[in-house]
Order: sequence, then C-alpha cells, then structure tokens
Amino acid sequence: MRVTTSLFYSRASAQMSRLSDQAGTLQGQIASGKKITSAADDAVAYQRLSTLKQAGADDGVYKGNLSMAQGLLAQTDSALGGVQTQLQRVQELMVQANSGTLNQSQREGLAASIDSIRDDLLGLANGTDMRGQPLFGGDSGDTAFTQAADGSIAFTGSATTASIPIGAQAQVQATVSGASVFGGDGTAPDIFATLQSFADALRSGDALSTGTMASDIDAAMTNVTNVRASFAARGARVDLEVARLADVGSAREVTRSSLEDVDVTDAITKLQNTMTTLQAAQASFTKLSSLSLFNYLK
Amino acid sequence: MIDLLSQGASSLRAYQAAMNTTSENIANANTDGYTRRTTQLNELAATNDGLTTGLGVTVSGLSRASDELRNTEVRSTGSDLARTQASVTWLQRIDSALSDTKVADRLTAFFGSAQSLAADPSSTPARSAMLSAAQQAADAFTAAGSALDAAARELDANVDASVAGLNNLSQALASVNLSLGRTQANSAAKAQLLDQRDSLLEQMSAITDMSAQFDDLGRATIRAGGVNGAVLVQPGASVTISAAHNDAGVYAFKVSQGGVSRSLVPQGGTLAGYSESARRIADAKSTLDKTANDFATGVNAVQARGADLSGNPGAPIFAMDAEGGTANMTVVLADPAGIAAAASGGGPRDNGNLSALAALRKTGGFETAVTDMVVANGSALSGRQMVADAQGAIHDGAITNRSQIRDVDLDQEAVDLLRFQQAYQASSHVIQTARDTFQTLLNIG
Repeated sequence: MRVTTSLFYSRASAQMSRLSDQAGTLQGQIASGKKITSAADDAVAYQRLSTLKQAGADDGVYKGNLSMAQGLLAQTDSALGGVQTQLQRVQELMVQANSGTLNQSQREGLAASIDSIRDDLLGLANGTDMRGQPLFGGDSGDTAFTQAADGSIAFTGSATTASIPIGAQAQVQATVSGASVFGGDGTAPDIFATLQSFADALRSGDALSTGTMASDIDAAMTNVTNVRASFAARGARVDLEVARLADVGSAREVTRSSLEDVDVTDAITKLQNTMTTLQAAQASFTKLSSLSLFNYLK
Repeated sequence: MIDLLSQGASSLRAYQAAMNTTSENIANANTDGYTRRTTQLNELAATNDGLTTGLGVTVSGLSRASDELRNTEVRSTGSDLARTQASVTWLQRIDSALSDTKVADRLTAFFGSAQSLAADPSSTPARSAMLSAAQQAADAFTAAGSALDAAARELDANVDASVAGLNNLSQALASVNLSLGRTQANSAAKAQLLDQRDSLLEQMSAITDMSAQFDDLGRATIRAGGVNGAVLVQPGASVTISAAHNDAGVYAFKVSQGGVSRSLVPQGGTLAGYSESARRIADAKSTLDKTANDFATGVNAVQARGADLSGNPGAPIFAMDAEGGTANMTVVLADPAGIAAAASGGGPRDNGNLSALAALRKTGGFETAVTDMVVANGSALSGRQMVADAQGAIHDGAITNRSQIRDVDLDQEAVDLLRFQQAYQASSHVIQTARDTFQTLLNIG
C-alpha cells in the first residue's frame, strides 16, 4: 500500500485522538463513578434507573408519612392508656359507692373525685397531636370536646378521620375520632355523660342504680380497650412497613449500583491499557515521522 | 550532429519541466485537495522515413493522479456520514432538553409533596411545599419546552447557513465550469481548476447527496438528491436553492432557475440530517406539550372537585396560555390554603382529594410519558452514534483509498527528483558531446 505523506500524518493524528478520547471517557467515568449519564448510554438501563429513582423518591415520602403515623399512633396509644387508667379509678370509686355505708359528706367527696376524673378525661380528649391538631378531633373542629356552661360536655369534632398514605396502595388510620372513644354521637358509650350522672346521683343522696352505671362504665372500658388493641395492631403494621421500606431500599440500591455505577477496578485497568497504547502510538509516530529519504540526500 | 544537439536540448527542457512538477508536488504535499501531478514525456518521433533515430523528447502535458471512482466514493460516504452526524448532534440537543430539565423528577416530587400533605392536611408548611413543588414542575416543563424551541430556532439558522453554503458552492462551481471551458487541456491551470472543482464537489456532498457528471472539458453537471434529482449546476447555468418549513417541522427545499422551481429531497448530507432532526424536535415538543396540558388540566380538575381549607371548591393551580403547551405554564394559586386537600364537604383535616390526585398520577402516567420520550430519544441517539461510527470508518477507508492515488508521498518525490536530476545531467553531457564532436569536425577542415 502506498502511504502518502498526508495520509501518514492524518492517520496518526486520528488514531492518537481516538485513544485520548477513550482515555477521557474512562477518566470521566472513574471521576463521576457513573457509567450511565444519558439515555443514549444504555436506554434500557436508563429506563430502569428512572423507575428506581421514582420509587426511591416515593418511598422517601412514605418514610416521612410512616414516621408521622408512628408518632400519632404512639400519642393515641398513650392517651388511650390514660383513659383506661381513669376508667379503672372510676370502677374503684364505684365499688366504694356501692358499699352502702357512706354518709352524705363521703358521697360528696366521691362526687368531687368523679368530677376531677372527668376533668382529667376532658384534658386527655382535647389533647393536641404532633401536628398541633386536636388528637381526637377527627377531620374538622378546633377542639374535640367542648364543655358547656352547665358543665355538660359535647363532641364538637368530626366522626371521620383521614387515613395517612404509607404506600402506593396502603393507608393507615393513625388517629381515631373522639366520638368513637368517649362517645357523644351514639356510636360509643358516652363516658362524660355517664360520669356526670354518677356524680349527680352521688350528690343527690338518692339511692344509686349502681348496676346500670357499672355496666355503662364496663362498656366504655371494653370499647376503649378494643380501640387501643386495634391501634396496637396498626402500630405493628406500620413498624413492619418501615422495615419493609428499609429492605426494599437496600435491594433497590443494589440494583441501582449494578446498573449505574462504574466498576472502578475494571475502568482503571482499561484506562491503564489505553494509556499504554497511546504512549506506544506517540513513540512510534515520533520514530516513523523522522524517517524521510530527504534526510539521506546530501 | 544536429540530431544530437536537438535531442540533448529537448531532453534538457523536458527534465527541467519534470523537476519543476516534482518540486510543485513537494511544495503541495500538505495542501488540501491537491492532486499529485506528473509530467507526461513523449518521444519526438521522426517525421520522414529513413531516419534511424528519433528527434528527442517532448513534454506533452501534465497528468493528474485522479481516480473519479475513488472521488465519488469519498463524496457518497461523506454525504452519508454528514447526515448521520447532523442527526446525532440534534438528538443530543433533544436529550439534554428533556433530561437535563428533569421534568419527570419534578413531577415525582410534586405528587410526593401531595402525599406528604396527606399526612398533615391542614399544615401550612406542607401546603407551601406542595405549591413550590408545583412551581418547580411548571418551571421544568417550561424549561424543557423552551430548550426545544431554542433548538428548533438554532436548527433553522443552521439550515439557512447550509443552504447559503450550497448556493455559494454552486456559484463557485459554475465559475470553475466557465474557466474550465477556456483552459487548455493538460496545462497546469487546468490541473488547478480540476483540483478546485473536486474540492467544491466534496464540500457540496457534505451538504446534500449528489451525483456528478463531467464533459470532455472536465465541466461538471451536478444533480442533488439522487441521480434523477434537481440539477444544481451545469455548464452555462446555475440555480438558487431555498428552504422553508411548516409548523410540524417538515422542511421543503426548492431549486429555482429562471422562474421554474423543482423540489429537492436530500437523502444525504447535513440537509437530510437537519430535515430529520427538525421533525424529531417538533415531535418531542408536541408530546411534551400534550403531557404538560394533560397534567395541568388533570390537576386543576382534581382541585375543582375537592375543598380547600375554607371548604370552597379548589381554584386552578396551573394556568396555560391559549394555545396550551409548555410555553406559558405558570402556577396561579398563590395561597397555600387554596389547595383542595379535602374531598368536597370534608373538614380541614380531610385528605380525600389528595388520594384523587394520587389516582390521577396513576391514570395520567405523566412521569412515564416523559421518561419514555427520553428513553426513545436515547435509543435513537445511541443507534445513530453506532451508525455514525460505522459510516466514519467507511468514509475514512474511502479517503485512504483516494489518498493512495491522489496524495503526495515525499519519499517518492525524492526518488523522482534524483531520477530527473540525473537525466538532466546526462542531457547536458549529450550537448557537450555534440559540441565536442562538432569541434572535431571543424578541426579537420
């Protein structure tokens, strides 16, 4: 083959610039740690990466929502625990009242205790959650329960509570409407009304219909226990979901890395190889370009 | 004796010319488009019978080491490569317009912010976060749309520049044609004009695919867009090429001569690559516009069905201009309380309408639509890059083939120089011998 002068130079320059280009690409990959920077590098991998990235972003949102749900569930649980304690005290007071040997001033004292329990319960029922909203208020209303001038307590929240999304399809009800716990709209025993009538009866000095009241308090206790149990189940579900998200996140990271990350050892070896070839090409070019017949024509 | 002298003299002149040509070759060893020349020597034959020797040597002209087949190969592979390279450039532009603006990521963030708000529907910070995510989504759509618009405008400028270039080349070739008609065959001037002609043809082939035919004088007739395409240049005439495009990004090229127009459909060269790219840009823009419109309309419709913090139906979040599309996508809801998180009739802590938004995300598939565009464009781009690599190698091969015939090899010129120098010295000895012989004869007398 006849290698003309311009061909010799243009080929040498093309070969060396191709090698430099390769070295530059490898260097960029090693520096960024990524082998896919645009869809053109690998369209299929890019699509999978986009899906993974989207799922990662969604899971970040769900993680925030889960920790919100965990907080709300814990707050609700501890509030319900407080309600149970107060109801137990009511049950004890009821046993005392039932002993039948109380004089009027002792009955007044018991009534005062019932009143204070009622106040405590109202405090629990109007607690604020970590969002600054009424914990038992449901979807609307500024306070869950409102005490009227005559001392009667009415539910002023909403019977419905919004569920928190914790997955593409999954939701959890992290709070419960006060009506379902303390009564007030007929769906659950009305604790406040029961206590009110208990205290009123004690003060009036009339004979106590203790059987009815005890069964009312027992019913309220059972209701609260059931609600608390269902919250424990939700809490367990949320904990499982948190663990699942962590697992899915690790698995996703492994997949992402295999798609996107550069095998640094491999890349450095290739780079070294390219550099060696480039140096050899440069050396041989210098040698060959110094060969010319004109050098020998003296 | 006269024979000896005239033979020597003719040979002296011939080798002088041959050395000049060699020196010209050496001088132009690195000149682009220069075709290696050789001096054609012919024996000066005796005209009348009976003579036992010839009359010496004559220079019959210059010959160019040109092979039209190899030139054609360089041109046609160059057209193919230029087309693909133009496509690659613009596909990269589309890729960066769509993926650098991160439209899909912003959409994911917007829908994510709605899900965060669902955990605390009455929270003002969460509502503000959702509004700012909406703003970012609108900005991303607008940025992607204007990047595509800018690409289309720049492409248009490139098309104009290429068409202007083709017009200039055609005119230059027409004047070369004119000069070729007046130049003597086998002269240095002719060789220069033919070099110029070939170089113009190569430049034209990078703009459009073309076929060239030559007459006896070397004048070219050029047809663009296939062998039956419109005539761009022919001896004695040249034309005007123009370009126009419609809204769908389809370019039409016209070749006009004396009020008569013919359409030019380039199958190669940058013009073909630009035509294809313009269509792709317009397609990408219309898909992006449609996705933006569907997204904005969908979100606004969900808003309208829900209730904001005050219990009123939600006002629109996004606004589009009259034509729709990404050009004027803005967020018009300023008050975070205006986000309709609650289902109609729900309280301020209800989030029923946000699940409707999550449902819209699934049915609308906006993120998938954008990602699919990026991926489809990316596959086309990587395919084109592979084709460009292959065509580049083919084009390089064609250039190598041509170079083997056409270009100057300095070692070969060095050998020629020595050869002609020795012949020149020998010729001068012949003249000296003739003189000495003459002298001998004169001395006899």
